[in-house]
Amino acid sequence: MSDRTETTDGTGRERGADASSSARGTETDPLLRIEDVRKSYGDEEVLRGIDLEIDRGDVEVLVGPSGSGKSTLLRCLNRLTEVDSGHIYLGDTEITASDADPNAVRQQIGMVFQDINLFAHLTARKNITLGLRKVRGLSKNEARQRADSELDRVGLADQADSYPAQLSGGQKQRVGIARALAMDPEVMLFDEPTSALDPELSNEVLEVMQGLVAEGMTMVVVTHEMRFARGGADEITFLAEGEIVERGPPERLFENPERERTKRFFESIRHE
Amino acid sequence: MEGIVALTELSTALPAGQLLPVSEEQVGQYLGEDWEFVYRNSDYLLWGTVVTILLTLTSILLGFLAGFPAGAIEAYGSGYSRAIVRKFGVLLRGTPILVIMIFTFFVLPIDIVLGAAEIGLRSIEFVLGPTPFTVPTDVPEAFIAATIALGFRSAAYQSQIFRGALGSIDEGQMEAARSIGMSRLEAIRHVIVPQAMRRSVPGFQNEFTIVLKDTSIAFAIGLGELLKRSHDLFTQQTTAVLEVILFISLIYFVLTFGTNRTLDYVSNRFAIPGESS
Repeated sequence: MSDRTETTDGTGRERGADASSSARGTETDPLLRIEDVRKSYGDEEVLRGIDLEIDRGDVEVLVGPSGSGKSTLLRCLNRLTEVDSGHIYLGDTEITASDADPNAVRQQIGMVFQDINLFAHLTARKNITLGLRKVRGLSKNEARQRADSELDRVGLADQADSYPAQLSGGQKQRVGIARALAMDPEVMLFDEPTSALDPELSNEVLEVMQGLVAEGMTMVVVTHEMRFARGGADEITFLAEGEIVERGPPERLFENPERERTKRFFESIRHE
Repeated sequence: MEGIVALTELSTALPAGQLLPVSEEQVGQYLGEDWEFVYRNSDYLLWGTVVTILLTLTSILLGFLAGFPAGAIEAYGSGYSRAIVRKFGVLLRGTPILVIMIFTFFVLPIDIVLGAAEIGLRSIEFVLGPTPFTVPTDVPEAFIAATIALGFRSAAYQSQIFRGALGSIDEGQMEAARSIGMSRLEAIRHVIVPQAMRRSVPGFQNEFTIVLKDTSIAFAIGLGELLKRSHDLFTQQTTAVLEVILFISLIYFVLTFGTNRTLDYVSNRFAIPGESS
């Protein structure tokens, strides 16, 4: 387990060194690169040519009205939804390539779901060990240790033996995050992680997410939680009708959007 | 009624530890000659019960071995395989069990069946290595025919139980499993099936009871199960028909009741904590 952590840290440091040696902030080496991604369901074009680059360690928040394609875009990033055309790269590898193994891609990209989707028949700990055992091939003991440390990371060390039905919504979602983190992903995707939860329960999930931001995890987050977007995001991308309308750092997008469409959206949210 | 009370008194009055404390004459004396007749032949009926139980188990097992994959194919399979399995299911569910059994007994050549079973077992051994099983050759043909009829009919129904249970598992479970890098097959095996099996217990309970009771249809092909043996008896002493039928009804009831209780226990034992079942 410690070996694994070191390797990831190692590559992380290497990359960091590269970035700082070549003038920092030029965005020459984004971790996720999305090029002209298109997707239709029947006659309905859900994504109409999305281009986006996300740097390592950045937090990208996708916002937009429902039906804008933000969730579809997120699901394209780990191939739960297949793109019709366009390319997505993780580092140097194209994950949308026809010969790319989606199972290998998904191990590097963690996902947290709106409906949480914990494995209902397994305890919190086993929700985490299942992937470690079957996918990563860890031994029972290694997997158990790793799971317990991930549960500790999301503040649920004492709930390791609880079943999903015995946990609150917020606790469940934290286990969901721990499950994804345990696979050591390079990127974490969050698909409206708090929209199924009471505001009270949302907070504990948002705190865990803020913790990940502080750790420097690369995150792509679809959310309606403007507090999180304001506090945690490096960039906010506003989508509407399958296109990126505007992108920028939170302060600018909130206070001073360039497009009328963006302005209307943030105003409508504020009134809620 | 008086007779039964007297019988209880009689048996409690006897010294404990003595096996079969009631003699035939005593039964006859208190309950009448027809009950005495049942009592005298109870071991004959109990052997019939053993055949009934064995036939139930072999049929349920065959039904599971064929029905579970069939259900999985109906839930996840693609075009061709699914269409074939469906047609078979519709055919089997649309044919009376008596007709199926007459077919398997009088039409289906037993040698071909045994040969197919032999090939099946060999191919399983080829994949999994040696197994302790052999294809039975000294089993009565009627038993094999009845097992095939009840087994495949049950498979057609069990496949629907499993298809429904597999389909009832939320799609998010599959997505979550895929999102951590599991293949579709791994996800089905480790995430979907364990949950679906729990959900199929009530349907399976029902199916088990139906197969158990339908073993009596093997009467038609002369297999010496419970009903056939009771028929043997009451044709000997026709006045005892009520007593014989009551007696075997009690046996069937005890068997179905016991099975249901056992499966209730299994269901509770494997229930997911915190979920209402």
